[in-house]
Formats: sequence, structure tokens, C-alpha cells
Amino acid sequence: MKKRRLFFLVVILLLVGAYFTYNYLYQDHRDIKTEDSVIEITAEDLLQQFKDGTATSILNNTITVTGTISQIEEMAVTLNNSVHCSFDDGLTGLMDNKEIKIKGRCIGYDDLFEVVKLDQCSITK
Amino acid sequence: MKRQIILYLIFFCFTTAIAQKYSTKTGEINFEASVPSFEEVKAKNTNVSAILNAETGDFAALALIKGFRFKVALMEEHFNENYAESSKFPKATFKGKIKDFDTSSLTENKKEFTISGAVTMHGETKNIEVPLVLQMQNGVLLASTNFVLNPGDFNIKIPKIVSNKISKDVMVSASFSLTN
Repeated sequence: MKKRRLFFLVVILLLVGAYFTYNYLYQDHRDIKTEDSVIEITAEDLLQQFKDGTATSILNNTITVTGTISQIEEMAVTLNNSVHCSFDDGLTGLMDNKEIKIKGRCIGYDDLFEVVKLDQCSITK
Repeated sequence: MKRQIILYLIFFCFTTAIAQKYSTKTGEINFEASVPSFEEVKAKNTNVSAILNAETGDFAALALIKGFRFKVALMEEHFNENYAESSKFPKATFKGKIKDFDTSSLTENKKEFTISGAVTMHGETKNIEVPLVLQMQNGVLLASTNFVLNPGDFNIKIPKIVSNKISKDVMVSASFSLTN
């Protein structure tokens, strides 16, 4: 009787262990759309911060950027020629020079084009 | 006065000719270091910048390391924190030149060129010389290439415990739709 109890206890512990290991190994990706942004900033200010080297706390964080659209691509828009925001899905109904607010993950500064890049963007306004 | 205008016009023509550049901000780089029967080690970056100078054949590309996305979130985290150390080294770059490049020789048919230059990432630089396929489609210059890189060349150490699950040869493929 005691042996049987011990056996069940071990099985349960193993199952719980396996469950947590699996969840750790295959945890979900971050969902940038639902994450709160750490900062709200204009496109020009964001670029300036990266040029000055003071933007270390922004990298890899979800941020909200405001600005006017200066270029539209199939899956991306550029704000004020300073911030390039890429989307996971196609874009519709956007126009040049429109004021916009975009949330996305900041992936860094691109010194070829001198723009800051965001990915996994969504339009908040 | 007339001469000035002519000189200005000539100068203007030259500068526009020199500024013949093809570029993209949404180029794609994939890499794969999978080992059969283990979890796939594969990532994709679709926000790679690239500029080609059509006059000289000079080509430059820049990929932000944090822009590489994996299927498994934990793998992405480990890649960023332990291997590529993307907070310390946020970008990977390539600077090089296409040999015997001539825009007028490009057609809708694929044509193979050779590109040589330097790849820099994780604080290390390595010179490579690889084939590059180019084609011109409705004014868009399509460039693509495949090559192999070794983590060791960039001082990226792979711990023994996972070394049998990550290939020593990392297959890299890149494709760019460059517009004028």
C-alpha cells in the first residue's frame, strides 16, 4: 500500500516537472501589441537619442512613436524620415503626411539610412 | 552667365548620374544551423537595409541583430543574450563590391556575379567572396545570395552542452529587392 502511494507521488511529480519544463522551453513569444510601451516619443526625438547614444534603455522595448508619414512601403512606414516601422501584416488606408501614432518593438539604429527601426508594429492612432 | 548655366547643367547631370543608387530597408536574411533530429535552429530578419551603388558596384548591408526572429521564443532569447550578445553588438554589417558590375548587362534573366567584402558582427570581421545572383524586374533590382559562415570566425562560442544541437556551419541566405 505504501509502495503504491509512493509510486503515484513520483508519477505526479514527474508530470508536474515535465509540464513546467515544457512551458519553459516553449514559452510564448512576446506580444508587442498587448505590451505596455515604456515611453512615448516623437520620431525626431527618438532618432536624436540614438545619434547621441543615450537610447540604451529603449533597445528591445515596446515604445510608442508619434510623427507624420514620410514614406509608405508594402509592409512598413517611415515617420519624419527618422523612424522605420515594419508591420507583420499588410497596410491599408494610409496616406503620406498623415499624423500617426505607432506602437512597436525598437530593434536598433540603422546607420546606413540613419533611421531607427521598429518591428511588430501596430497603429494606435 | 550662359557659361555658368551650362556648367551648372553639366554638374547637375553628373551628380544625378553618380547618385544612381538602388536600396531597400526591408531586405531579408535567413540563417539556419539545424542538426537533423534536433530542434530546428533557424531565424529570419525581414528588416535588413542595403544600398547598391550602380556606378561602382559597391554594396553595403546592415542587419539589426534584434530583428532576427526564431520560431522558439527561448531560442531567440538565448541567441540574443548568450551568442550574438545583441545589446553589446546590435548590428551585423556587410561592406563590399560586386566584381565586373554593370547595370546595363542586367535583364529579367538571372545572372551570376561575384561579390567580395567584409562581414562584421559580434565585434569581429571576416572577409568573404561569394556568388551573387542579380536580375532586373520592372526597374527593381533583385539580388540574392547563399553562403556559409562559422560562429567561430566571429568569436561566438557554443557551449559543449548544446554543441551537438547547433551546426558548426551556419547556412546564410539573403535576398534584396532594391529600388531606385
